[in-house]
Amino acid sequence: MSSWRQFAAILRKDIVMELRTKEMLTSMGLYAFLVLLIYYLAVSQANGGFNVGYIAAGLLWLAIVFTSLLGLNRSLVHEKDQGCLDALLLSPIDRPVIFFGKAVGNLLFLLIVEVLVVPMFYFLFLLKTGLVGPVWMLALALLVGSIGIAGMGTMLATMSVNTKGKDFILAVLFVPIMFPLLYAVVAASTAVVMGDAVFFGEWAKQYWQSLGLAAGYDSIMLLAAYGLYEFIIGA
Amino acid sequence: MPENTSTDLALEVRELSRTFGARKALSGVTFDVPKGAFLSIFGPNGAGKTTMLKILSTLGNPSSGTAKVLGYNVVDDSVELREHIGFISHNPLLYPDLTAEENLEFFAEIYCLENPKERIRELLTAVELDHRRLDLVSAFSRGMLQRLSIARALLHSPEIIFLDEPYSGLDPHAMDILDSLIAQVREQHTFVMVSHDLQKGLELCSHALILAKGKVVLFEERDNIDEAEFSALYRQTVGMGVS
Repeated sequence: MSSWRQFAAILRKDIVMELRTKEMLTSMGLYAFLVLLIYYLAVSQANGGFNVGYIAAGLLWLAIVFTSLLGLNRSLVHEKDQGCLDALLLSPIDRPVIFFGKAVGNLLFLLIVEVLVVPMFYFLFLLKTGLVGPVWMLALALLVGSIGIAGMGTMLATMSVNTKGKDFILAVLFVPIMFPLLYAVVAASTAVVMGDAVFFGEWAKQYWQSLGLAAGYDSIMLLAAYGLYEFIIGA
Repeated sequence: MPENTSTDLALEVRELSRTFGARKALSGVTFDVPKGAFLSIFGPNGAGKTTMLKILSTLGNPSSGTAKVLGYNVVDDSVELREHIGFISHNPLLYPDLTAEENLEFFAEIYCLENPKERIRELLTAVELDHRRLDLVSAFSRGMLQRLSIARALLHSPEIIFLDEPYSGLDPHAMDILDSLIAQVREQHTFVMVSHDLQKGLELCSHALILAKGKVVLFEERDNIDEAEFSALYRQTVGMGVS
């Protein structure tokens, strides 16, 4: 059996279904817009009384986290409906291949939503101050964070999809487990918003240390997900 | 095929047990089924029929005992075994937002089939859904879903097919089509069917098994079964309730 062929089939299937229904992208995108809009309305009450740059990145990641929770649950509910997950489990596919197929699909959809949402974030929060650091550094922080969210989120969504309170369980598990990653990517993103140094200076130091922490978290947790997925999906 | 296997047997079940907490869903189940046989499994709700079907099809693990399907241990050789089994359930196991053809293409890729297009066209014709291959499965009737589900289960030419209440919810016409499809492939496959329909199950089977409270009440070849006695025993078993 070719794992690559099976992985590609799962990814292609999810993309075809999403392009046809646009269910996840529409709901995630609208939700993210709404969340950012409410944050903007809340922050605007301060009438410029503080430097919004210090919290802007945190607000962006809050929107991404809430949006991803919406998408992660939906991606596994699609498999659970009509017994499709059982059909996959009955086939000669290694369980980690299912994990990577679903996780990469979730990452793709999350990145598409971020491409739409980040400009809105800039328009609402950074129009006056601008993004001090280079865009590629923010993009890298978003990518590293999204990989962790999609990967671990897929594993947690698989655990919760078989429970009665699947939405609630996913949210309860997500926050404590993802906290180290979220702390790191918020710190890295804030460094880009506030600082203009790529390799030197305090903001650069904060950025690279935080990004390193996030990348390390991603590596460890994705490895754990790879090893545990067989037990989680078969539970 | 693994070494040291009994190549004549499709199923070898020895003291198979499964517990869920304090409840014994299966207890010491033992039987053999030869290749090419059609085993019908009967029993009241909660007897352990679906649990046993899940274990034999590698969807679940036993708590104790062993089970071999086509010589493969259902736990140790589960990945290899899945290449040889098909499963038809009362759930269609199909993606509603994909077309009939796309569903079969997806599973053909999962099973890494050579020449999938040819095989898919052949099966869609066999289940009389070729004219609907580009339609979304969400628009299919119950009977059409079951026919497509059969096509999905036969895609990779499995040696053994598990059926979990396949006639559930079908109208008489759809039942006839299902009967016809099973008859077409009957000779080449071993079947294991769970059913509440005593008449249908006995009509199709070469071996019959009655489970109650997780235990084997009766296991017999069809030729040795008197229908009236079997029916009486089954009714008595249903009255025994669950474990």
